[in-house]
Amino acid sequence: MKKLTLHKLIDKIEGEAHIDFTFQNDRIESVRIAFGGSRGIESILKGKSALDATVITPRVCGICNHAHLIAAVRAIEEGYRRSGVCVELSSKAKRIRDITLGLELVQNHIKWFYLTLLPKLCALVGHNEFIPFAKKAHTMTLSATKAVALFSGQWPHSSYAVVGGVTCDPTQVELLQALFVVDRLICEFEQEIIGIDIDRFLSFDKVADIETVKGDMGLCITLMRRNGLDAIGRSHDRFMVLGGSHLSPLGKSIATVTAGVDTRYVETFEQEGTASIGVAYKGRLYEVGPLARAMVSKNPMIRALHKRYKDAVLCRVYARVQEAALLLVTIKQMLQTLPIDEPSCVLQPNTIVDDFEGEGSVEAARGSLIHRTKVRSGKIVSYEIITPTQWNLSNGLSNESGIAALSMLGLYDTQTATLVFRTFDVCSVCTVK
Amino acid sequence: MRWRKISIVPYGRRRKMKKPKLLWLQAITCNGNVHSFFNHPQFLDLISRYEVVYHPMLESSCKLEDVFARNASCDVLILEGAIAKQEDELVLHYAKGASLIVTAGTCATYGGVFRQKDPRQIGGFLFDNQNITERHEAFCQKTVSIPGCPLHPQWLGFVLESFLLRRPIEKDRFLRPKELFGYTVHEGCVRNEYFEWKIDAKGFGQKEGCLFYEQGCQGPHTRAPCNKILWHEVSSKTRAGTPCLGCTQADFPTGDFFQTPKHMGIPARLPLEVPKRAYLTMTGMAKSFHVERLERKLIDYE
Repeated sequence: MKKLTLHKLIDKIEGEAHIDFTFQNDRIESVRIAFGGSRGIESILKGKSALDATVITPRVCGICNHAHLIAAVRAIEEGYRRSGVCVELSSKAKRIRDITLGLELVQNHIKWFYLTLLPKLCALVGHNEFIPFAKKAHTMTLSATKAVALFSGQWPHSSYAVVGGVTCDPTQVELLQALFVVDRLICEFEQEIIGIDIDRFLSFDKVADIETVKGDMGLCITLMRRNGLDAIGRSHDRFMVLGGSHLSPLGKSIATVTAGVDTRYVETFEQEGTASIGVAYKGRLYEVGPLARAMVSKNPMIRALHKRYKDAVLCRVYARVQEAALLLVTIKQMLQTLPIDEPSCVLQPNTIVDDFEGEGSVEAARGSLIHRTKVRSGKIVSYEIITPTQWNLSNGLSNESGIAALSMLGLYDTQTATLVFRTFDVCSVCTVK
Repeated sequence: MRWRKISIVPYGRRRKMKKPKLLWLQAITCNGNVHSFFNHPQFLDLISRYEVVYHPMLESSCKLEDVFARNASCDVLILEGAIAKQEDELVLHYAKGASLIVTAGTCATYGGVFRQKDPRQIGGFLFDNQNITERHEAFCQKTVSIPGCPLHPQWLGFVLESFLLRRPIEKDRFLRPKELFGYTVHEGCVRNEYFEWKIDAKGFGQKEGCLFYEQGCQGPHTRAPCNKILWHEVSSKTRAGTPCLGCTQADFPTGDFFQTPKHMGIPARLPLEVPKRAYLTMTGMAKSFHVERLERKLIDYE
């Protein structure tokens, strides 16, 4: 039978992507994903002062800017350490960075759920109930970003993380304000998204427990299962976490077998027909993001779902929503126990290292983000940024399909395929940094 | 500036009338202004008074393909991102038909971060860094600049509200609303007393001290009401101990952040329009006194 190629422009994914779907025998046989022109952040950084990376790199991305800030500052800190300077952050500074980064992930997951996933899912399956998606996304986003701003001054594009700690030195007043806002956010999350108590939601560890989820996530699960969308979208079933955090240790997981990782084995490759590079680890492709973090950290509920669904849509969607819940509870605990009298920044002023090389990795909303900087005479001579979407959205290697590309193969229509595509929470701007 | 006549009426009667059409068009951008504007507390109230022709995040009445094919039209054009000279035809098409153009953010206004990839080819819509572009003459009347990396949601909100109410906006030479950019970031900064008495911050992460002398704060010579209209209604960079990076200025990003460039021990860039002699005299006087309260910690935890 003749092959047919359909071109689709996918928008509202922090920019756009172009996908060519090639059909044979009514099924998608191959997928090519392309992103627009590069914006040149890495070349813009050349010749600038080492610390300027903490101002310029957040501008890679409007939605995960904070993760870029943390990766940039970690790269410089690691470079300083390698040069023999002691940069041991106070637990207060570490905690504050975790809180703000965690809140960025929460706002991202909420926007993804209400603006990227659920409206498209409802449209695809013909669920016509009126749901004020934007209103729900907005209310919860406001709370999350306000809580970030109490420490970082603003979101997006703060530069409040500096070598040795953070610039803010909050009082109990900001702390209690943040706690109040996060508490309200937890209530909103319970009422709107899961419809049940957050601790109960997080205690789930059996597939049958998903029947108990109510709210919009309950609706999402029901719509996916009723329409046979829960078990589609499987890929290589390999997962990678390169930026260790309270969410997950470093590691990889091939199906459920976990092992250690080293960023030395991360390889990037050029791709034809797109401005985006691809990323592999020792010649193999891995999925990054909330599902990877849950798999590597052996999260009981995600492991249970994985046993049934493997890396299918339901598992990927559930992992992202569950991660938001997990973050909210952890952030609240961190706020309650923040040692406010510790120093915010440990580095003595005027400590400047002129020549160094450093690498910083962080778990951003969509997965592992790596910054590598090389500095000579105080100026950046090379800067490399490897973003999560480059892991998930590559077109593959000669011997294996890309992660998202593989997940769409075999499907019968482009609408279903693009829904699967959206479960990866694609970020176009990060891809063409 | 005055608005061209279109079918817009005050709030009370707006339900009966057609909503003005709003198109959010992106060039070379990070999407930061979309996300920042979403932080506006009354975002949905405001945006629902417009017909959203296209928005990069929200459901819109037009598909992006139709926007690209020039099958859409708009009354208000919001431009985000720096513009490459060879790719400005689509922008010009919608700019011609619009009654109001807002350059949202520093990239669209002056070129910003992404201009630095190729300053000869990439710039803002009506300004290229400090200089005007060839589009300036045709569009300066109906354009309002809202620089900022990102813009503050309520600054853009102010322009969109003014348009709905047909209230004229007074603009400065960079087409910025005077009501907003008449202020500097320094005004309203909680560290002002340290500035007055020339007491510098002893490193980052301190509640005390002014960030202008050592940490590279650009607040005294940057125009923006960041410390008047607070971010998220609660904070600002300087309130979080971060020096102002001058992100609303035409030359952003200047580089060499987090340190104050100096000539013979004096900050190279002085507060806006303050003569050097006046600055030196005041500094000499202030430094000849000791205010013990300002030399102590603000809060002494026991």
